[in-house]
Amino acid sequence: MRNVLAIARRELRSSFASPVAYVAVGLFALVFGYFFYATLVFFAERSLQATQFGMGGPMNVNQMMIRPLMLNVSVIVLFFLPMLTMRAFAEEKRSGTFELLLTRPLTDWQIVTGKFLGAMAMYSLMLLVSLVSILLLFLLGNPEWRQVATSYLGLLLMGGCFVALGLFFSSLTRSQLVAGVLTFSALLLLWVINWTADSAGPVMRAVVQALSITDHFDDFSRGVVDTRHLVYYLSFIGFGLFLTARAIDSERWKG
Amino acid sequence: MIDVQHLTKRYGRVTAVDDVSFRVEKGEILGFLGPNGAGKTTTMRVLTGYMPPTEGRALVAGHDILEAPLEAKRRTGYLPETPPLYPEMTVRDYLMFVATINGLASAERRRRVETAMERTRVADMASRHCGKLSKGYRQRVGLAQAILHNPDVLILDEPTAGLDPKQIHETRDLIKSLGGDHTVILSTHILPEVAQTCSRVVIINKGRVVAIDTPENLTARLRGAETMFVQVDSAGADATPVIAAVPGVTGVTIAARRDEQASYEVASERGHDIRRQLAAAIVTQGWGLLELRPLRMSLEEIFLQLTTEENAGGAEVPRA
Repeated sequence: MRNVLAIARRELRSSFASPVAYVAVGLFALVFGYFFYATLVFFAERSLQATQFGMGGPMNVNQMMIRPLMLNVSVIVLFFLPMLTMRAFAEEKRSGTFELLLTRPLTDWQIVTGKFLGAMAMYSLMLLVSLVSILLLFLLGNPEWRQVATSYLGLLLMGGCFVALGLFFSSLTRSQLVAGVLTFSALLLLWVINWTADSAGPVMRAVVQALSITDHFDDFSRGVVDTRHLVYYLSFIGFGLFLTARAIDSERWKG
Repeated sequence: MIDVQHLTKRYGRVTAVDDVSFRVEKGEILGFLGPNGAGKTTTMRVLTGYMPPTEGRALVAGHDILEAPLEAKRRTGYLPETPPLYPEMTVRDYLMFVATINGLASAERRRRVETAMERTRVADMASRHCGKLSKGYRQRVGLAQAILHNPDVLILDEPTAGLDPKQIHETRDLIKSLGGDHTVILSTHILPEVAQTCSRVVIINKGRVVAIDTPENLTARLRGAETMFVQVDSAGADATPVIAAVPGVTGVTIAARRDEQASYEVASERGHDIRRQLAAAIVTQGWGLLELRPLRMSLEEIFLQLTTEENAGGAEVPRA
């Protein structure tokens, strides 16, 4: 455990020594802020219309503000996370420090979980900064805190999948760029794969929806924690990390 | 301390290391000598657990590198060819990190890091970023990293590469001081380094071991015959017949001729000291004996001979 934490801490500190951390947190805050503003303005207009013309019944900040915002954020995260994981192994391999890690008394699992926790800590920080905007909502209105909590739990789990996948691709190459592009493309595919769901047959539809990472997030944004989605996310993370560990081991044998 | 048995490593069809076996006892400093691409680095990488062997096995500090990798790695310090530094970390932070993943208790870490920095003379750079260090400092921080946890076995891949002469001298002294307590394997292609620091040498070429011995024995074994270098002022006359007439001489060649003087290389039977008779023969001719010294084959020549010729170790003396 000490080894895992040492690697995670080093990873996090490295991000802060380079521009990566500042770019990721700063830009995420910016983009999140913009989406927050846009949804808020939209919501305000709708509520104004509702009071003027009396249509649509009572306005619900949870369903009409938080939920669409969170669905948007799940896509923003998809764009940001490859940036956090692409260095993870690719850079170590390029600079030769990977040789250090592999020749120290560490197991592959310790290395992989250390990297995972490091990236997750960075990601949590991004989410933490975005909570500032949400706090404003609490000051101005009366949203349901439980829904915010499940949404953030969902974001964390979904981000975990992105990180696991990103680590895997990073472990395959020495080029950060290749790792980043591979991760991004894979995530993009897993996001849009459900777009074909409507035209697909009943069996394919179920398969396609089950595969889509973002589809599983939907219930979290509604305030529902469904064990199906928990299992999906956790097994996705577990499998991703397992593949990463195998990739490291196979690297050894290839030489 | 280190026991390598029939080690073979193939990358696809390429055989990088071919049936290499050797042992290193505790406290020994073993030099790994060979041209580039001979398999030095590959052998070291197998010993450090970076990559598994294709065949054969390696025991480091009594632990099989495949069966008990963590135990073996805990007792090994390794300096790869390029020092594995994180450019964005300071030297001290970096060493603290390495100390942690080596399993040192937190109370001990700081002390060990300071000691290692003292020994490798990098303490003045402790709060510099690794990426901003000169080549010499990088190499020494890499060395500090390897000796940090006081390992039984040190594996150093070209520890003096990129250092200036003074630093090379200091590093050699450091390595020599490490021998005794630690078992050291170092690779190099600087030959005097081997003669100065190592107690034994493994010469490796094309993945095969061509010789294992002490530097002295290696020099002696390969010197099938004795050779003398003689410089004579013979007033222009050819001294070859006179020298050849000395008992024990088996061959004379003229090495250089300038004005009245000439130098000769005189081969004689092994274990037969011809210096007295040779000097007497020249002096009785009335010539001036300007220089007389035995020619030793340098490690350099031995190395070239072993790595370029098929039948190494023959009786004849190679002449450049």
